[in-house]
Amino acid sequence: MKAFTTMAYRQIKRFFRARSRVIGMFVNPLMWLIFFGLGWSKVFNFPMASALFGGVDYLSFLAPGITAMTIFNASFIAGISVIWDKQFGFLKEILVAPASRKEAITGRIFGDSIMAVLQGLIILLLTFTIASSLKFSGVLPMILIGFLLAVAFSSFGVSLALRMTSMEGFQMIMSFLMLPLMFLSGAFYPVETMPTWMQYLAYINPLTYAVDAARHVLVNAPATTATASIPGMPTVSLTRFSLTTDIGVLSMLALAFLVVAMISFERATIE
Amino acid sequence: MEYAITADNLVKKYGDLTAVRGVSFKVKKGEIFAFLGPNGAGKTTTIHMLVTLLKPTSGKATVAGHDVVKEPDKVRKKIGIVFQDPSLDRELTAYENMYIHGKIYGLSGDKLKKRIMEMLKFVELEEFKDRQVKFFSGGMQRRLEIARALIHEPEVLFLDEPTIGLDPQTRAHIWEYIKRMKEEHEMTIFLTTHYMDEAEQLADRIAIIDHGKIIAEGTSEELKKLVGNDVIYIRIANGKEGIKCLNADFIRGCKVLPDGRVRLEVVNAAEALPKLFELAQQNGIKILEVTYHRPTLNDVFLYLTGRELREESASGFDMAKIAVRRRYMR
Repeated sequence: MKAFTTMAYRQIKRFFRARSRVIGMFVNPLMWLIFFGLGWSKVFNFPMASALFGGVDYLSFLAPGITAMTIFNASFIAGISVIWDKQFGFLKEILVAPASRKEAITGRIFGDSIMAVLQGLIILLLTFTIASSLKFSGVLPMILIGFLLAVAFSSFGVSLALRMTSMEGFQMIMSFLMLPLMFLSGAFYPVETMPTWMQYLAYINPLTYAVDAARHVLVNAPATTATASIPGMPTVSLTRFSLTTDIGVLSMLALAFLVVAMISFERATIE
Repeated sequence: MEYAITADNLVKKYGDLTAVRGVSFKVKKGEIFAFLGPNGAGKTTTIHMLVTLLKPTSGKATVAGHDVVKEPDKVRKKIGIVFQDPSLDRELTAYENMYIHGKIYGLSGDKLKKRIMEMLKFVELEEFKDRQVKFFSGGMQRRLEIARALIHEPEVLFLDEPTIGLDPQTRAHIWEYIKRMKEEHEMTIFLTTHYMDEAEQLADRIAIIDHGKIIAEGTSEELKKLVGNDVIYIRIANGKEGIKCLNADFIRGCKVLPDGRVRLEVVNAAEALPKLFELAQQNGIKILEVTYHRPTLNDVFLYLTGRELREESASGFDMAKIAVRRRYMR
């Protein structure tokens, strides 16, 4: 356990040391929430608009998505610290340590995940002030969902970073993946109304299941589902899958990516 | 005799490049053993194999009684390493760096705290313990790395170019620490260096390494005996016969160097110089410049390779190795 706890401790310590990074991590999700969210919420302000978003207002629809997105961003980007460690040499210190590498990398991933979930939580608490249909009882289950998501993506980020030498390369891959994954997750608009080919992509997107699960636990489902009475206007349900499916998929992904990260780190050399 | 390190025909290849081509040596317990050689000679690659970071292409090595390939974990527990490049966490403080290291090596509680403070005191950094490493000078970082490598009381300490890029005062400090570690803790120390003075000051035994091979091994006195005599360098005017060696009874050895100087070995330079001038005059040779000195390790290197140790910078081989490394990491 010593390598696990020590590495988790180190990642958390480092996170709080880099104050500019802490602030920077909140800017991006707040932009989406405030400018994108408040902007569109006025467009979807007509009666019946809630039928498009599972019976709730647009901000309540968006908020769980933004929370999941924050955790996704924060955990993915954490992988970059592996490249820092390569460049500044700290990786060697861990590679020659008489400790289980599997434990060390898991500790690192858990430390990063804890910080990612914490960032998501702060964003979530902020959304409570502008979204009307969220429930506080969903915060605890959201922590679990967020953690599974964070473990999946920080493992992915770490595995990727172990194969890369430059920050630029990592950042390029990240920016290449980040937007499509976000747009295909149903965070901003329902999966149900996407073109069919996009829906298929959404189904293989891990983030989709996190957003779906977040809506399950965070949004107060309306007692009566509003139906659209405007011709041609679709009625969309709030969630797409059952909560069990969501959590099952997320758990499997988290485990799979964690194993990949472990194997990658086990094989890491300094060549 | 018990050995702390044994290496038997270690080879490391990077693709077509052979960085280490069959290195064998033995280091006794409690001894300071130095690998002396120019950059790119294979020193760091050898250290990386010994500390279990690189798998040898072939050959066998044991450290603290354990095989580095078969029992890496047992080796790792018993060694401390200071790498050539910094390996500290720059965002964390000196104390936190020490704490994390100690924890990973299985120490905890008051014992760990005590060890950290002892070691910080040993390298005279205790007043900077709560400062982030990124604000440390190169010398302070080096000292902290030495302190960190010692927390878990290793049996064998590896130092890869411990004073590279440091100012003379800091170098002297670090030499002092290294000597004290040997004297007070009977620690076995394996160090690599391309500084002759460092090898001479610190090492009980020195192996001279060039192009991935050990070309000579022994105490610095033994190595100097290879050259044996005093050395005179002369620069002569390029006459019609060109630059060539001089022959006389008192000249024990003579070699024309690539830079045009002539290197002469004599028993006693002070007595030989007048004779040399006389000889030159008789032969119509004009001497432009004379230097002489007792043999140094540089002369040994020159004698063995025909090149000078100190003029060696990043060689073509070095650059090739870096290029290969980049390719591998992608």
